[in-house]
Amino acid sequence: MLTSLYVEGSSILHRIGARWKIALLFTVSVAVYLVDMWLLLASALAVAIALYSSVGLTAREALRRIAPALLTIFLLCALNAWFTTPAEGGQMALRLVTIVMIAAAVTASMTMADFMEALTAILKPLERIGLVNAADLSLALGLVLRFVPDIFADYQAIRQAHQARGLPLRWHTIIAPLIVLTLKNADTVSEAIDARGIRNLASTRETIK
Amino acid sequence: MKTKDLVLIALFAAIIIVLGFIPPITLGFIPVPITAQTLGVMLAGCILGAKRGALACVLVIILVAAGLPVLSGGRGGYAWLIAPTSGFLFGWVAAAFATGYIAERFVSRDGSTWQQLSGFFIAAVVGGVAVLYLIGVPWVSVVAGIPFSKALAGSMAFVPGDLIKAAVAAFAARAAYVGYPLLPARS
Repeated sequence: MLTSLYVEGSSILHRIGARWKIALLFTVSVAVYLVDMWLLLASALAVAIALYSSVGLTAREALRRIAPALLTIFLLCALNAWFTTPAEGGQMALRLVTIVMIAAAVTASMTMADFMEALTAILKPLERIGLVNAADLSLALGLVLRFVPDIFADYQAIRQAHQARGLPLRWHTIIAPLIVLTLKNADTVSEAIDARGIRNLASTRETIK
Repeated sequence: MKTKDLVLIALFAAIIIVLGFIPPITLGFIPVPITAQTLGVMLAGCILGAKRGALACVLVIILVAAGLPVLSGGRGGYAWLIAPTSGFLFGWVAAAFATGYIAERFVSRDGSTWQQLSGFFIAAVVGGVAVLYLIGVPWVSVVAGIPFSKALAGSMAFVPGDLIKAAVAAFAARAAYVGYPLLPARS
């Protein structure tokens, strides 16, 4: 039910490595704030539009993905123009739309596998200090994705139980049982993980020997 | 990290995501629809405590970056990490931590129902509202170029809804505290 936002394709962005795309994104995000020439900002936006259209989304889907962001940007830049100057608001709008489009383009051209690889690379220094464990992180992310559909099904079951009893649907009567139901699973799941030796912990290795 | 802690963090991140699937509700007197997802952040702190609650939020943010539609409304991807409202997303980590920090110290097994409920409520308000806005509003101000005072004034529209969320969080957290206590007690 959580389908990735990745879109298959062979555009320029698709062919660049994940790290370069992330670097591009953050460079652009900072760079646009250092510029206040209309020509430069407009060209940046043009490049962003070109990149976002090359990724392989239909125009409708492309707009749907960033519509809420565009709405917020429009409102905030209108406020900006009101409180400062129209020119300021206009430039800010160019900046933000540029950033949002490039970000959406990067998201659409990066698979989750590429992202995990880039993330592991970024976390390597932290791993060396011992702050982060990449294997644990992958396990945790996998667990999240594994359990979202189950928890959603529980949520729907609780809702239907309310409806069957003619009880009004209120957050406080639905969320508490949902959480307790979900968390009670934790023991079983963690035992299953340890029994399979998935985490390769020193303690579990000792017991198997 | 104990396996059970890792599993709890992952399960709670999944809860925060599922709460994003619940459609927002509009109450008559509040101009903005209330979403359930930040309720999940308050709960993460109240139920799992400061460290684990914060880590659950970190997991959700990583999944947003990975390009999965986990934010309420099916939103995902990098656009939501650098948007004007992204401070309200990154702020989740600090919000859950603050909520958990207060809950760990102010809620105890010996307290009365009322004491526990108010402890959780205060924790949820301080973390989920005060700390979250402290990060979200300056971010809006900087990224969208709006004067801070005006950005703050604009955000006030969301506070009533968030106070209702904090109340719901307090009830749900107490129910969990009684039914399946996980909150580490610290003084």
